[in-house]
Order: sequence, then C-alpha cells, then structure tokens
Amino acid sequence: MMRDERISRLPMALSALVALTFAIVPLPSVLDAFRPDFLVLVVFYWSIQSPRTGGLTLAFVAGLALDVIKGVVLGQHALALTLMAAWATQLRLRIRVFSILSQSLTIFALLTGYQFILFWIDGATGNPVTYFGRWLAPVTGALIWPLVVSGLGRIHGK
Amino acid sequence: MVAFRSSDTSGRSSGLLARCILFSLLALGLMILDKRYENLGHIRRMLSVIAYPIEVAVASPFQGWAWLRESVTTRETLRADKLKLEDELRAARIRLQRLDALEAETRRLRALRDNTVGVGSRFLVGNIMDVDLDAFRARVLVDKGARDGVYVGQAVLDAGGVFGQVSRVDQLTSEVILISDATHAIPVQDNRNGLRTVAVGTGEVGHLKLPYISTAADILKGDLLVTSGLGGRFPVGYPVGTVQSVKRDPAQSLAEVEVTPAAALDRSRELMFVWLPTGTQAPGAAPGSAPVAAPTTAPTAAVPTAAPAAHPDANKPPVAPTPPGATKK
Repeated sequence: MMRDERISRLPMALSALVALTFAIVPLPSVLDAFRPDFLVLVVFYWSIQSPRTGGLTLAFVAGLALDVIKGVVLGQHALALTLMAAWATQLRLRIRVFSILSQSLTIFALLTGYQFILFWIDGATGNPVTYFGRWLAPVTGALIWPLVVSGLGRIHGK
Repeated sequence: MVAFRSSDTSGRSSGLLARCILFSLLALGLMILDKRYENLGHIRRMLSVIAYPIEVAVASPFQGWAWLRESVTTRETLRADKLKLEDELRAARIRLQRLDALEAETRRLRALRDNTVGVGSRFLVGNIMDVDLDAFRARVLVDKGARDGVYVGQAVLDAGGVFGQVSRVDQLTSEVILISDATHAIPVQDNRNGLRTVAVGTGEVGHLKLPYISTAADILKGDLLVTSGLGGRFPVGYPVGTVQSVKRDPAQSLAEVEVTPAAALDRSRELMFVWLPTGTQAPGAAPGSAPVAAPTTAPTAAVPTAAPAAHPDANKPPVAPTPPGATKK
C-alpha cells in the first residue's frame, strides 16, 4: 500500500506544477477571461481519482501556491479549493460512474462554487471584481474537463 | 469513453470532514493574519522566492522569442532604426537644453518659496515579466523587488508618463498596479490652468475618468493632465494623460470627463521606478512596514475622497518631511 502511494505522488505533483504555470501564461487579453482554472481541474481530478494520496493537502497547498503567485490575500484560493475539493471527494464514487457529460456538469457546479467563494472573499477583503467575465472560467473549465480526464488518465494509467 | 478506474474506493470518509474543517480554519486564519494584521510579509516574501522560478519559466520563452526576433533583424531595419533614433535624440537634446535652464530656474523659485516638493531624483529601470496575474485586475509583475530597494507605494513611470505604483514587493519581483485599475486614483492637475482633481481608473486599459469635475469647471478636450504631487506618492509634473472628451449635462452637477493615459499601459515593457527626493517621501514608505491595504493614492483635502478608495494614509498629512535615512532600514 505504501509503495503504491509513493509511486502516484510524482505525476500528481508534476501535473499540479504544469497546471500552475498554465495559470499565469500570458494570453491575448481577449482570451484572458476565458482561461480555465487548470490547477483547480487537476486538483478535482486527483480528489476524485485518489483522495488518499493527495487529498485535501494537495488542494490546500495548490490553493496557497495560487495565492502567492497571483498576489492576493493568503488563504483565498486555499480556502475555496479546500472546500470544493472536499465536496468533490465526497461525491467521487458517484462522479466516477457518471457519463462524461454528467461529469462535466458536476465539475461546472464545483467550479462555480469555487468561483463564488473567491468572489465572496474578494468582496470581503475590499477588492470586489464584479465583471461578468469572471463567471466564464467555470464554463470553459467544464468544457475542457473531458480533455483533463483523458490526459491525466494517460499519465496515471498503468 | 473516458471513465475513472475505481482504484480507491476505500477513502476515509470520516476523516474527510475533520480535515476539511482543519484546512478551512487554517486558510481563514491565514487570511485574517494577512489582511487584518499584515504581519505575513516575511512568509509571503519567502514563498514568492519559491514561486520565482515558475514565473521565470513562464516568461522566458516570450523573452527568448523577442530576443531572437531582435537578433535576426536585417541590416536595413537596423539602419532605419538608427536614423530614426538619431533624429529623436537630436530633437530630445535640443529640448533638453531648454529644460536644464528651466529646471535651474524652477529650483531657484522653489528655494525662494521654501517648497521642498521636487521632481523625482533617482531612477531604476525594471522589465515587465510576461506573466498574467489576473484577468480582471490591471496589475503587472516587474523583475525588481525588495532587493533593489523598491517599496510599496513607489511611483512607476514609462517613457510616456505615469504608469502606476507599486502595490506589493517581494524579494525579487514587485507587483505594479496600473493607473487604469478600477481601484486606483491619482491626484492630477490641469497643465493649462492648474485645476486640481483626481483621475480614477476605470478597469479598462486606456481609459481614466475625472469623476469630481463640476460642469462649470474650466476643462477642455486636449488638456494635458500632470501629477500634482498632492498625497506625496507621485513626483510633481509628470504627464498622466490628455482629456479625451468632456460631457456637460446641465441637469447634473458633475461633468463626465474621459482621459487617455499618456503612458502606453498595454505596450510598455520597460518601466522606471522613481525615488522622491529625500525629505518628501510618503509616510510608511519603508519596505516591509508599509500599511498599504488597497494601493490607492490618498486624495488630499483639496479634492473629494473617492468612497471605495479609502486609504489608511488618508488622514495623515500628504507630505510628511522625514529625517534623511529614517525611511531606510
């Protein structure tokens, strides 16, 4: 059991690191609002796939990394990601047997919840971002979910 | 068909809730510490050093591409560029001759009036890193940080005019908030008649507005707005923008004035950090101890305060002369 855990930790960390760089790669400003939250999708994937290995620790650390790299109040993304990853872990047995369409819809709900927590903390800390554009990321995130699943499934497949 | 392999059906559901609560409380605690007490500066600075390689890794392909494109330009282009630059240099030198005399005169007059507000004295050039911080906030990351003496609230210029101010300083990098950010305001003055007001960002690059201009005020399309130096953040007399349109509705008490920034907010790659002359530095300018929550310039008593732009410094005198060296650690 222990050996199994150690093996799957490396792809987990690597995929999270790659997703983190995608979060800040410069895009044309037209596309910027559509940028999906790659790291969040990766964390959801691992929360559903193997919550024992990474689990909420991965979610918390990934959230903290987003806080540092985006320069917002420490703990904002960490809180949102922890809560939503916990929810995804809770639902994992059901999500695994869903069709890919239902999976995407569930992920859309999780991403919207994540975005809502960010929105709420933004407002509470005095930097409200009220543009409609911020609600586009959950849509694009849900749309690329099948790609994330097949891509990460290949890395992690035995 | 993509489906999950059920490799882990025996997750610890009982522990999940406990861990979720633990991490949430930890995150909430971090937020409160960071926001309310602002004493996580050291931790944040340490963490940002870890993040620096990622930022460099993201930015370097773009910089490499720019370097490659620059190094394979033809001789013709180089020649044309050289001629153009020579022309510009000649024109600039001629204007500079006048400027020297004018500066000396200004200094004499200021000495007569015993006025210490001066033009920025020390500069540091920094490069914008090709990193997108946030789609909905006008912030950029610059490759100069606390190591180079950059401090929170420092004014940042580009070749055209005022670009923004430093909103966060890490060890190796700093974050600059653009004057077009919706939470940013800068005290300005009409260069034609000295009318003082505040230019507020709109969140849209290339657009500022003057929300506190009465319909009767003397402001015209094409007027140049320069920094007024009130608030003690920005050096005096740097161009901020030109008035693009003035809409006066007789039924309203305030006019709608739109301003085009002088700085190339979306195109500049090189920025200049400015140090104000000693004795006029803004209060709390020392790195690490700056109590700046929202990086908004404090408008002074001469202008109405923007309601969402309330600032902890707003009640302090705009220019507090500090003894030389007091702001350095």
